[in-house]
Amino acid sequence: MLINSVALILEETLEAALLISMLLAMTGLWLNSKRWLLYSFLLGFASAYLYAATMADISEWFNYVGQEVVNAFLQAMIAVLLMLFAWQVYSGADNVKHKNLMMCCAAAVVFSICREGAEILLYLKGFSASHEAYLAVMIGSGLGFGIGISVGVLLYYGLVNISLSYKLQLYRVLLAIFSGNMLSQACVQLIQADWLPAAQPLWDTSSWIAEHSISGHILYSLIGYEATPSGLQILAYLIGIAAVLMITMLADSRRSSYE
Amino acid sequence: MQVKLMAFSLFLFSFIATVYAEVPVFKLVIKDHLFFPSDFEIPANTKVKLLVHNQDASAEEFESYELNREKVIEGGRKVVIFIGPLPAGDYPFFGEFYPKTAQGVIRVK
Repeated sequence: MLINSVALILEETLEAALLISMLLAMTGLWLNSKRWLLYSFLLGFASAYLYAATMADISEWFNYVGQEVVNAFLQAMIAVLLMLFAWQVYSGADNVKHKNLMMCCAAAVVFSICREGAEILLYLKGFSASHEAYLAVMIGSGLGFGIGISVGVLLYYGLVNISLSYKLQLYRVLLAIFSGNMLSQACVQLIQADWLPAAQPLWDTSSWIAEHSISGHILYSLIGYEATPSGLQILAYLIGIAAVLMITMLADSRRSSYE
Repeated sequence: MQVKLMAFSLFLFSFIATVYAEVPVFKLVIKDHLFFPSDFEIPANTKVKLLVHNQDASAEEFESYELNREKVIEGGRKVVIFIGPLPAGDYPFFGEFYPKTAQGVIRVK
């Protein structure tokens, strides 16, 4: 039970941890105060609680696929917010509007915590009735949570300490991959809900890296790895990457025309 | 003109017919952190609708790497999960919240 909890909570925590450390590192140049993170944690946990509490009813919306639709919306919104974020950071240089940047980051973090947090809350709630399992589950969850946060902290310091010449290039790639990942996951949700047409997988790499292997799990959390993706899912991923790359390139040219 | 109109309405009709074609429904029950049935067949290359009824008090998460599916089912509630069209083969699934007992496999034939 303990190992299961570690794995489950770690996987749910990693995505939000990566997003937060990425945004924290990237906004370090403009936002001196990190207070926005505190507010987005509070709002994120409140919305996660609300989502978990209403999950049973939400699941019944749209002929029992409400959960997919809400999740797809949250994930697509994160991708859009990252695109807005990329535009502000890359086009602004000295005149980035701090308040807009802060709102953008905070909203993305709230959406991320809302979805992942609700799942964790429902998981923990199931064990609160049985006393013997509860302790193991709580210890396991604590460990998983701790590892997830540690990875986030490590990534933050890694990102902050990269030399300035590589920084903008690396941040661009990270934002692109994260947006692609979010759009692809949103796409999977809508296929599962039958709102988008299902198709057979384009390829199968499960013999190289199985999704249930440790490397498969890590790759899933980092870049949204799927062994058997469908064409639409790949397309969504590519659209996310291309959008961020195009937005940052446009922003670059706008900035250089000012300078 | 009339031929075009006929062709168009034929196209429209076939489109609507595909959209509203009956999707076969398969019922799955979760009880005492087990799936019933835990081993069943579905037709190949066909979209099917899984109607999952969680009869436990606690939530469960239907998950399958092979099917690319993941969905939380609250205690005492029903949800729908669409799967397929799939090529023939065995597709394992499990309950992510209670993976020790909640295991199953869908055989696509």
